[in-house]
Amino acid sequence: MHITLNDHLQLLTAETTVSTLLQQQQLPTEGLAVAINNTVLAKRLWPEYQLQPDDNVQLFQIVTGG
Amino acid sequence: MLRIANQNFNSRLLLGSGKFSSPIIMQQAVIASGCKLVTLALKRLQLKKPKDELLAPLRALNIQLLPNTSGAKTAKEAIFVAELAREALQTNWLKLEIHPDPRYLMPDPIETLLAAEQLVKLGFVVLPYCSADPVLCKRLEQAGCAAVMPLGAAIGSNQGLQTRAMLEIIIEQATVPVIIDAGLGAPSHAATAMELGAAAVLVNTAIASSSDPVAMAGAFANAVNAGRTAYLAGLVTPQQQATASSPFTDFLAAL
Repeated sequence: MHITLNDHLQLLTAETTVSTLLQQQQLPTEGLAVAINNTVLAKRLWPEYQLQPDDNVQLFQIVTGG
Repeated sequence: MLRIANQNFNSRLLLGSGKFSSPIIMQQAVIASGCKLVTLALKRLQLKKPKDELLAPLRALNIQLLPNTSGAKTAKEAIFVAELAREALQTNWLKLEIHPDPRYLMPDPIETLLAAEQLVKLGFVVLPYCSADPVLCKRLEQAGCAAVMPLGAAIGSNQGLQTRAMLEIIIEQATVPVIIDAGLGAPSHAATAMELGAAAVLVNTAIASSSDPVAMAGAFANAVNAGRTAYLAGLVTPQQQATASSPFTDFLAAL
């Protein structure tokens, strides 16, 4: 199935969770936030949320700022 | 002791983490400042080059991290950023800032109040960056904000307390901590803010953009302490006429 990850089309196997996706992308989870279809997904739900075809996944990260 | 919501901080200087030349310089400046609250921002992750070297130096200091909603132009956007920040840092503390105008970065008072009301209901500890408007600050307080953060001057302008007269009214009326944010360009500005009775100040550009950020962080810490001590000691009132400090007698009249 296909999803969109920060505007990039990604091909995933079925039953991929958000946690699995982040591991595949080799992303640090500290300071990271995830929104699926413009709704924020709580960190505690990452291991159980199964991505659906055409999901729009957006990743955000903590950066410096005043 | 600075008390915000139910938490005590043994420093009245808050630091912004932006504009430092490296995370290590930022960490050293935080240490030199003695500050216990550091602000951070959020942005979309760049998949090609995610950076994770920012948080480790701050986590090592055992300080409170305060994410902001910079980049939000409306209350709706700010609430979205707040929810992201809560997950990213696992904290419900939030510096709310909504400034749609890129030139002066003036906070939008209407969107800020709307967002504050909703964020408090959602369980956030809200510290709103706002105009130095006594009525607005009172409304933000009534909405349940844990502090108010009126500006001294435009963000990054280094102009000091351009809003001084309004800040004095805000401080007089407030029952939550008043943290002067934005525009403080020199330690003397911070000292003056504290002499006026501000609970704390937030500084970023003046420290991070200094040629020696670590030394400047220490200078701001000293200024904040001096200003606070002077406020507690009780400042004397300026007057037009001289009053002698030495004995003013005519003991030399016999010469």
